[in-house]
This record gives sequence, structure tokens and C-alpha cells, in this order.
Amino acid sequence: MFKQEHNRTDEVATIIGPSVQVDGNFVANGDIIVEGSISGSIKTEKNLQVGAQAKIFANISAANAVIAGEIQGSLKIKDNLELTSTAKIFGDVKTQTISIESGAVLHGRCQVGDVKKSKMEKIDDRHAKLKDEKDGPLETPLVS
Amino acid sequence: MYLYIYDSFLNHKRYANLLAKIETRVTDLGIGGKIFRLSPLRNVAELLRDETKGGVKTIIVVGNDKTFSHIINFAAAYDVTVGVIPIGPDNTIAQMLGVSSPEEAYGVIAARKIERVDLGKANDTYFLSGITIEQGDVTIECENKFRVRPQMQDQVGIYNLKPATAGVGGGIFNPKDGLLELFIQPFQSSRWMFRKQPASSSSLIPFRKVAIRSKNSVSIHTDGQKVLKTPVTIEIVPDKLKVIVGKDRIF
Repeated sequence: MFKQEHNRTDEVATIIGPSVQVDGNFVANGDIIVEGSISGSIKTEKNLQVGAQAKIFANISAANAVIAGEIQGSLKIKDNLELTSTAKIFGDVKTQTISIESGAVLHGRCQVGDVKKSKMEKIDDRHAKLKDEKDGPLETPLVS
Repeated sequence: MYLYIYDSFLNHKRYANLLAKIETRVTDLGIGGKIFRLSPLRNVAELLRDETKGGVKTIIVVGNDKTFSHIINFAAAYDVTVGVIPIGPDNTIAQMLGVSSPEEAYGVIAARKIERVDLGKANDTYFLSGITIEQGDVTIECENKFRVRPQMQDQVGIYNLKPATAGVGGGIFNPKDGLLELFIQPFQSSRWMFRKQPASSSSLIPFRKVAIRSKNSVSIHTDGQKVLKTPVTIEIVPDKLKVIVGKDRIF
């Protein structure tokens, strides 16, 4: 997903270095590498890499993510989430696929893959649909 | 129609032979034109207003980075193309445009390859290369969405062209991408200043508009020349300037 260290910056749009602190809704169009501190939220349509020294207090949304640092907040990853041995996640995780290295910490609910509804939920949905059809659309009576 | 603007430092007699050579060469190539010598008493804004009305379409800056930065602030208001004949050591902008010597400049101007480039705008001052922010307790508000706080000693700059201190790929600093780059390098002691920082220790954030604020007034240098004081608003003005470039340009 990410290139090697020596040519990474040729490919990456945004880098938050270890000396920098970011507060607010951090939105980027390209890949993001975080080695510093971010508070608020992080959103990208592409890839996110969080370094081992990074500390993030934010809800995260990205296509793919490789996490080696600490995150306090929820992660919503569209495709693949990779937690390395130094990763610490304190929050809920929702992703399509996940790989967790030995030593990684994950405190929170973890939802991996597509969610299939239970039988009872399907029955409830069907009842709701039938009720809508029976009630029909609201009609305004004609005044003669 | 060409207008050649000479910087005032070229009035020194040691440049007389060089200027005579330049004038002969540009005449031979059929790219000669009017000559204007800068001085504190002469108004560049009035000159450009009158000359553009008179049909000048190309301005050739003869001097260094300081001259070029000074002239583009007036030239950006008109539909003109700007070229450069670099003289002296402080000519990093000319080098980035692919013009490294006066000899090379004649051919570049005659070939007349034109590129439209973005300009940065710091309050009301345009810049092509970038700005540097003096060390201090600054906060940079990006796009009204998030705030970036560097360390007090970090080297903070905003660039349109690739800075000399950046060890990262030139493609990121592209003056045709409609973005400026906030580039923050951690403080290095003088003992290690020549050691290249690993790329991941620097910060790089592309943006369209930022506001720089600080508790105490901090100086900001545009293209290493003009000094502004915080608070300063910086934004990109896409495709603002037409410049004549050589084949060795960095973008």
C-alpha cells in the first residue's frame, strides 16, 4: 500500500511530522502520513499511515490504514486495516479486512467485513415495508 | 514588443560591459526593446501601466531574485509575459525557471516557451517561490478547518516552488497544481545542519488558503525579500503569471 521510506514523499500528499500538532477537522485529498499529534477528526479518500510515535485523538475515516501508533477514537476503514505490534487503538473499528500483529492493543468493538442482518431484523424490515404499502401515500381530500 | 527592466545595482560601472553585451546579443536575436532602469525615484506601477497601454507584451527582468519578485507584483495585474536575464549570485528563481546564466537566457527568451504558473499572495503581496516565517509561537489555520502548531524553533515556510532545503521530490512543489505547500522542518543544531533530515521528520501540508497568527508579532519574508508582520493571510492565485521558461526548469 505504501512505498518504501526513501521515495515515499514523492507519492504522498500530506505528512504530519513529529514536531507538529494539528487540531480540528483534518481533511486531505491524498495519502496521509502521521508521525506527530492530531486532535479532532481525520478524513481521506486514500491511505493513512500512523507512525509508532504518533498520538491521535480523533475519529478516522480512510480507504486503507497502517497503524503503528496510538489512536483514541473510532476508525472507519473502507478496505484494509493493518495494526502493527506497537499499535494501540482505544475505540471502535469498522473495516472490510483487518490484520493484527502480535502485541497490538485493541480496546473497542471491532466490526470486520459486510454485516448480514439477523433473521429477526429481516422480519422486522419486511413488516415495516408492508405497513408502508398498506397505509399508502397521504392524499389531500378534494374540496367541492 | 519587449521591455527590459534593469535593477539599480546594475548602474555600477563593473556591469557596463555585461549590459553592453546583453544589449548587442538581444538586438542580434531580434528580441530587443525599450530599456528601463530601476531607481527609488522611478515608479514601476506607472511605467507598466503606460507601457502595456503602448503595446508591451513581454517584460524581461535583468537582475536577481529581488528584482524579479519586485516586478511580478506589478506585472501580475497585466496580460504580459515575464522573462528573466539573471545577473549575480542570488538567482534561485531564474534557475528554477530553467535560466541559469545570461548566455542561456538569450536562447530561452528567443525560443519563447511560455508557461502559466500560480502565484502565492500574502496579504496584498504576490510571490512566486515561497515565504519563510521567522521562529516564533505561530499558529497556522488551514482552510478554516484545522490549526497547525509547529514547535517554536521549527523552520516554517510556505512554498510554490521547491525550496533548496527540501530533500523531498520536486513533483510535490508544483507551481501549476493550484496548491501551496506548508513545509515545516524540525530545528537542527548548527552541528548537524548539513545532515539531511529523514523525509518523515518534516511536515508537508498542501493547501489553498491559510491564516498565520501569533501572540507576538512575527516577521514573514516573501521570496526572501519583502517583510510582512503577522497576522498574514496567504492564498494561491492559480495561473496568475505567464513566464518564459527554459528546458531545464524544475516543474
